[in-house]
Amino acid sequence: MDWNRLPPELGEASEGLSTLVTAMETRVPYAAALLTRNSGLQIGVNHREQQVTEIRPSQGLVLTAWNGTYFEEAATAALTKKHMFDLAREFASTVDMSPSSEAIDPGPPLKQHFATACDQDPTLLSAKNKLDFCLELHSKAKELDPRIVNVQVRYRETQESKAFANRTKQLSQNVLRLRLVVQIFVSDGKQLRYNWMTKDGTGGLELVQFTDQELRELCDTAVALLSAEKVPPGMYDVICTPEISGVIAHEAFGHGVELDMFLKDRARSEQYLGKLIASPLVSIVDAPSYPGGHGSYFFDDEGQLASPTCIIRDGVFERGLSDLFSAHSLRMPRSANGRRESFERKIYARMSNTFFAPGEPPVPSMIESVERGVYLKKVSSGMEDPKGWGMQVTSHYGEEIRDGKLTGRLFAPVGITGYVPDILQSVSAVGDDFALSGGTCGKGHKEWAPVSDGGPHLKLKARLG
Amino acid sequence: MLQQVVRALRKQDGVDDWLVRHILKTSTQYYVIGLQPENRRKVNTEQVVVTVMNDHAPAKGGEGRMRGEAEVTLLPTDLQHLPQKLSQAVFMATLTDNPPYDLAGAVEYPEVGLADPEMQAAPRQVAERLVQQLTEALTEERDVRLSSAEVFVEQSQVAIQNSRGVRGDKVETEMLLDFVLLASGQEDEMESHIAVKRRRAADLDVPALARRQAQYACDAIAASTPRTGTFPVVVSDNALVELLMSEGYSPLILRSSARLKYQRMTTWDIGESIFPGESSGDPVIMYSNALLPFGTRSSSFDGEGLPGQRTLIIDNGVLSRFWARQRYAQYLQVPATGSFGNMEIAAGSVPFASLLDDGPLYHIVAFSAMSPDPITGDFVGEIRLGYEIDKGQTRPIRGGSISGNLFAALAMARLSQETIFLGDYRGPRGMCFPEVTVAGA
Repeated sequence: MDWNRLPPELGEASEGLSTLVTAMETRVPYAAALLTRNSGLQIGVNHREQQVTEIRPSQGLVLTAWNGTYFEEAATAALTKKHMFDLAREFASTVDMSPSSEAIDPGPPLKQHFATACDQDPTLLSAKNKLDFCLELHSKAKELDPRIVNVQVRYRETQESKAFANRTKQLSQNVLRLRLVVQIFVSDGKQLRYNWMTKDGTGGLELVQFTDQELRELCDTAVALLSAEKVPPGMYDVICTPEISGVIAHEAFGHGVELDMFLKDRARSEQYLGKLIASPLVSIVDAPSYPGGHGSYFFDDEGQLASPTCIIRDGVFERGLSDLFSAHSLRMPRSANGRRESFERKIYARMSNTFFAPGEPPVPSMIESVERGVYLKKVSSGMEDPKGWGMQVTSHYGEEIRDGKLTGRLFAPVGITGYVPDILQSVSAVGDDFALSGGTCGKGHKEWAPVSDGGPHLKLKARLG
Repeated sequence: MLQQVVRALRKQDGVDDWLVRHILKTSTQYYVIGLQPENRRKVNTEQVVVTVMNDHAPAKGGEGRMRGEAEVTLLPTDLQHLPQKLSQAVFMATLTDNPPYDLAGAVEYPEVGLADPEMQAAPRQVAERLVQQLTEALTEERDVRLSSAEVFVEQSQVAIQNSRGVRGDKVETEMLLDFVLLASGQEDEMESHIAVKRRRAADLDVPALARRQAQYACDAIAASTPRTGTFPVVVSDNALVELLMSEGYSPLILRSSARLKYQRMTTWDIGESIFPGESSGDPVIMYSNALLPFGTRSSSFDGEGLPGQRTLIIDNGVLSRFWARQRYAQYLQVPATGSFGNMEIAAGSVPFASLLDDGPLYHIVAFSAMSPDPITGDFVGEIRLGYEIDKGQTRPIRGGSISGNLFAALAMARLSQETIFLGDYRGPRGMCFPEVTVAGA
């Protein structure tokens, strides 16, 4: 793929976007047009099956019109110039114009194309090369232990191309997201347990390499989970890996500072704007511009250029994440967080790469400081509660800590609950390490968008069960 | 578009079998914040999903033939590149070696209620009416207001054909109503959130749903953390469906799937108990039912062209049959049942009110999220709202979590006599699990 230009499926359509905006603005005070195309390749290999197939593509145009009070949109998958122009004219003529006509700032003029940088461009390799890569990984992993009943290797390569235009901007971007998962299933004849490891990000194949040591640890943990116990419910000193730290940043706090939640009166965090909400050791950042993050992009779906937002600085809640409508309605600063699942869905304020900023102590010293606690290692799920500020994160497993040492005793699964400010204020150490984990985030139970979260290890107190 | 693709497939080298689905979809979306519109959208999409099969010699050598398959999706602008797209699909299919299997053959499809004529004819009016019903119902609720609502009214037309004679057409409608209510107390404010899907607007009693959610929001203000220990726990209504269905990743559905059996990722066997130990509860009888009128997982045919069926999967706690798509049915030599439909569970022996009689117990009506592990059945879920019932007293609870194993819990469960229909579930309104770990204060 030529990363310096939009794919041919969008090329011709993107040339006419500004014309569509002009046509709509003959009637409405602000209009924008967004073309999107998601496509790619996925490969799956397990003990008994192989699959190489296209990721089902999504391609379409969204026309957005401001009626003075709110946005109306029309979207279509038909991208001929005539259809697009006819739709723009017809759509603009049917917008319910509001008597109030507040202006929308289109931003400074800019015309630019962006593309993900990658060392090893996977689009230059054939599907067969990539299948062979997965088969080799599968072959290595399946021999690691006789209790393995299956190994799944799943490779996913997504090309996300967008073109945006309003009356001042013409932007386009090609973003390449990669994800490789190895999942090992083991059985002792009675029960089945599993463990997995994911490598992901925006970039090339350099992001998704597994070492033999990583595969060995993955397998050993899966086997150890066959004898995992249930954690006795109660309050614990907890050490969180960056993966668990990240999901706390994302689910516990991040969703509650998406400013559309302020508009809906759904965010308790609104009362804490400018106030101390967490331990002074805590800073949380959302950065769509973070290089290589799975949630990275160059501009959001409303043409706002990506830049970091410091949400919490030294324990104080500084600002939230906005889409255009929420920033405009709340008279708050705009950030590049207006994102949509696809052209078929509306914009929401969404996170991108969300993480705790690293601190100072080395991780071993944090574990040594725990007399009785649990080392929480891998996320299996999380859910937001921006109004009640209850936190739910489920860890696939955790390991007991006694007298500053890991004992090898595993608990699985481990539910982590608590009141978000209590948990954030209980943070007593922030490690000197840093890692991001990618995934797909829903708003509630829908609206899926690629994100990442992470940070350093954290030491805190939480209720486990 | 469909016939053009079929003609091209018949001429394409390397295609030993094929399956094509043509999907036309319209979506009318309406978003409200408070009483004001936030956004209105109308979306039209069209695509043809093509699956091609290629038979070839094994890559590693040896006897026999192997089958590879690959899928490509054609958008309207792809028609000018049709031969290249199909060649790309064939190339991908040649890469993979899987044991051969046949496609579904032609059969007559059952009649199933899938579409609401009103939603087809006037989607915008239906969307606006649902919001109006919601706001009108809330005028009677003191201290409760609408935070936001989202309504999707959608229609899909699906046509299917394959190289073995399958031909089918269907029209489906579906609506999503997602809303959040806020209740104000003296010093605090809390919310209740729900998202429901139905195929027919008439299957949703919006005023009743609004009243119930308003009560939940009010109760959340007064709720306190539950105690820690092992207690009987009743899970009901939408929370029960979340525990059993888990948004499509249900351990009950996955463990009874022929695909997972073939991949050695389920330990279940036909004729054996699904429970880890002795069963002491009500009989658990579960069907995959694709013929439930206006069920959101109902269908006259599935994505492979297999007819919709009602199939007994679990009979009195014993696995009766794996549900199986064509390919895995052939691999395991079991009947092909098609995709899993709606979950239908037989009614139990106890009036719902009786399940709540004997305290102390906890009654959970909403989880923050409940996703039991699809392989192990282990679950942990934060309690978004529930009630502690003890000596005739009821007090609301929230926070903390319940945990356990779904299969162990079902082995001891008592099921309500009363059944409910919630889109993709028809079964007991509530279940009582006698020993569940509660992590609370």
